[in-house]
Amino acid sequence: MAWEFECVAGPFNGPTGGLVWDGKTIVFAAVLESRLLRYDPGGGGVEEIRRFTNRINGLALTPDGRFYGCQEGSRRIIEMNADGSAAPLGATLDGQRINFPSDLTVDRTSRIWFTDPYHHLPSHGPQIFPNLPHASVLRLSRHHVTHDWIIERLTFDTAAPRCLALSADERTLYVGEGDALSEARELRAYPVDATGRLGSPRLLHSFGRDHRGTQRGAEGLCLDADGNIIVCAGSDQAGPGSLIYIVSPAGRILETQAFPDNCPMRCTFGGKGLDELYVTSGTGHLWRARQTGRVGLSAGKPAA
Amino acid sequence: MQVEFLAPGMRDVADPDPPLIEIVRGLIFGEGPVWDRNQKWLYFVDIIGDKVLKWIPGIGVETVLAPSGHLNGMTLDHQGRLIIAGWSSRNVWRLEEDGSLVSLASHYEGKKISSPNDIVVKSDGTIYWTEMQNGLLIPGMEGNDCQRYLDWQGVFRMTADGALTPMVTDFAGSNGLAFSPDEKRMYVNDTPRAHIRVFDMRSDGSFGEGRLFYTLQGDEPGHADGMKVDAQGNVYCTGPVGVHVIAPDGTLLGRMHVPGVCTNMAWGDDDWRTLYVTTRNCVFRTRLKIPGIPVGAV
Repeated sequence: MAWEFECVAGPFNGPTGGLVWDGKTIVFAAVLESRLLRYDPGGGGVEEIRRFTNRINGLALTPDGRFYGCQEGSRRIIEMNADGSAAPLGATLDGQRINFPSDLTVDRTSRIWFTDPYHHLPSHGPQIFPNLPHASVLRLSRHHVTHDWIIERLTFDTAAPRCLALSADERTLYVGEGDALSEARELRAYPVDATGRLGSPRLLHSFGRDHRGTQRGAEGLCLDADGNIIVCAGSDQAGPGSLIYIVSPAGRILETQAFPDNCPMRCTFGGKGLDELYVTSGTGHLWRARQTGRVGLSAGKPAA
Repeated sequence: MQVEFLAPGMRDVADPDPPLIEIVRGLIFGEGPVWDRNQKWLYFVDIIGDKVLKWIPGIGVETVLAPSGHLNGMTLDHQGRLIIAGWSSRNVWRLEEDGSLVSLASHYEGKKISSPNDIVVKSDGTIYWTEMQNGLLIPGMEGNDCQRYLDWQGVFRMTADGALTPMVTDFAGSNGLAFSPDEKRMYVNDTPRAHIRVFDMRSDGSFGEGRLFYTLQGDEPGHADGMKVDAQGNVYCTGPVGVHVIAPDGTLLGRMHVPGVCTNMAWGDDDWRTLYVTTRNCVFRTRLKIPGIPVGAV
């Protein structure tokens, strides 16, 4: 059954990016406006909740209310506190500055898994630190003695990791790998072993090319309660168009839904029954599909 | 040091080939130079290296404070105490004789200030600093709280009673600031707009109307960052290729070539005719012909 998408916010200048459902409202990023906004489906309104975010994109909200953002313009992840302040987390890997954290997820032990691709826009101010020689999935955790943030490298086979999601049992990490300049644009499933390291990935889906060019790969992922992967991919420029894919853990495409806007960016389930899908877009809108027939894997804070 | 002589007045400023001596190297982001005439040493900072340092002639570099909270511009008050623009630490600090740091300002109307960039003390003790967002945003300059609260960038004034007043609030990125020798004018530069504005000072210490004073010339690496004035009123501003020297009427007299990207400068030595220049990675010294405006205890 075709979903009916409705535009609930926008347009904003530049793409809209990361978004989270907090139990009652959607918080989403107007990335290039350096703002976070809240859409309240109850009151229907959109309000600004944070300014001067310096291009925050990916967002994550934990069940205990911790709220993190990927600050692309400052090459780091920050924790945004309820009092309005923001604390930068560690941002070096073996002494070298990380690239441009883009998407993140937090596991049960509070470790923060994130994609760290390059970016065509520079960070704010003078360019002091070169990029890492690799663009990988990285993970922040607290040092067991000092409690300082430390970063580990998890993937050694990525060139442009864009987005990620952990399965409910945290034994599989799904990664959208590859951008427009990449040889391959793939949806991968990495097994996570007992020590937290990644094994060799299973290729779930490969995005192709046609006479118009390469097909845009996955930019955003979320999971439903059955473990299926909801994927934002494609564009109006090439391939089968701007699509939301529903992919089984085995890699079977269960359905695709035509997205009415160009370049779906990130997605998350929301609504009272977690059965509505919210999607941000390359043209700076926030969209909602109401009756998806699916229920999201609950990750955010319960209704406050 | 290579010097471009672009107007006759530059002959009064510099010899054709002044010495340029690298006295410090290995910094990640040098800034904040100020000469302490009583101690006869140069204070400076490494913002990203997170240190306040001093260079003592004949001895070398010693650490004053580390970690420092990614401090930035520094000057001396008339008791000879270091007054520091706290940058990522979001305070204005004073270094006391016993080595303790005292916060002079951290909030305005209940909100944390942004990142104080550079700082000057007027002869009557009033402190002025540039208020900028970059100390919250630049990678490697991380404090405890990187959220910006004030919706403007410009210049703050702090009077003896501790009260803060915004002097000007329409900057894209206020950075270097300096008084004319008679303190009747204040120069403030704007890094993104690559220009300097000049403000006539009112008798109550507030800013009058501003006007464009100078637009940076040249497309080599370098930005409007640190700025100082000599005893005859010429303005020295970092910019493309090194240091630009501008006459009080806004005419570019010349450009002094300094390797790397200049960040700030300070007059020093007993005759105030040595110019110390910080770059991202080094500190240089050169000798010029017109003394700078003395700083600190007289």
